[in-house]
Amino acid sequence: MNRPNPVFFALYRGSLHLYPPRLRMLYQDQMLQTVRDADVERSSGVMSFWFRLFIDLIQSSVKERLLMIREPIFARPVFFYTLALALILTLWGFPAAMTLQGVMRSAADQPQIQMAQNYASEIASGHRTVEQFPDGHVDLATSLEPFTILYDSNGKALHSNGYFNGEILAPPTGVFTWLRTHPTDKFTWQPRPGLRIAAVAQRIDGAHPGVVLVGRSLTLVQQQESLLRRGTFVTWLSLMAILIGGAAFLNRAQGAAGKPATAHGHA
Amino acid sequence: MIESQQPLTPAVFAILLALADGEKHGYAIMKEAALPAGGGMKLGPGTLYGTLDRLIRDALVEETGLTDDARRRYYRLTETGRRAFAAETERLAASLRTAYARTEARGARV
Repeated sequence: MNRPNPVFFALYRGSLHLYPPRLRMLYQDQMLQTVRDADVERSSGVMSFWFRLFIDLIQSSVKERLLMIREPIFARPVFFYTLALALILTLWGFPAAMTLQGVMRSAADQPQIQMAQNYASEIASGHRTVEQFPDGHVDLATSLEPFTILYDSNGKALHSNGYFNGEILAPPTGVFTWLRTHPTDKFTWQPRPGLRIAAVAQRIDGAHPGVVLVGRSLTLVQQQESLLRRGTFVTWLSLMAILIGGAAFLNRAQGAAGKPATAHGHA
Repeated sequence: MIESQQPLTPAVFAILLALADGEKHGYAIMKEAALPAGGGMKLGPGTLYGTLDRLIRDALVEETGLTDDARRRYYRLTETGRRAFAAETERLAASLRTAYARTEARGARV
């Protein structure tokens, strides 16, 4: 009696672990016997025979495993609707939270935009001089107040009421390059690790060209964003828990309603 | 449930066709399904036993309970399986009749 190639046969037997466990337990011996039978009567070469068997095993294993996942979901509509609802909530909820976060960040640019535009137009029209800029000392590390820095066209600070460790900060070099071709630049400025500023730089034209930069710490916005992220996650988690709990309850209720009334039958 | 009006998959039809003339073990089903008259389906063991398992669960096929010397298990159609097979055969026959009629009508026009 012919015997299948021992190496391939052993490999096939091992590969049966790809098959779902329940089917493997039920049909493993039958599958191996079918392989033996097919090998006795095979008309193709050894390699092509085993290649086809392995391809079939892989394809059917994937298919059977997918069916195992799909069938309980589609067999009970409550699971299907729960899954659909969970998907809709997730797909809708996260972009909505991200949009809200974007809106919060945009809102953090006010009142800097208005202040920067006003200062720039006042200097350009000669209605405000360097001496007339707001005085004071805004500590960038701790204060939430807006601060203003005035630079000349070479990037040298002429005036500032915002300081970090007693120093006037220089903005990122790209800002001045950008302002050569654009009137305004809005950006998140991180002059030091952990310190983020919502900054608006406005080009000053006219007799005293330069740049006015108005900024404000993003600490408050960061706290709000963090709160929003946590809130979104907790809300999502709660909704999922409610959905799963509700689906389990409905499934149990449906199961109880579907059971035969045995007590009545025996009466 | 497969007994509904949905068309059977080629693999399912080939298995039912193989079992229509009597009980068979897995390899015999595979061999007959591979023949042109059996549907020309090259079923591997993985596909065969996965499909058989669903057919048994849907009560279209059952094990006979008999085994031979090599302990091959034998399978046969149930009454439900015979009805599903007959319904599918009728559906396919109706399609074929239409196909032949249209082919002949087209041939007559050419």
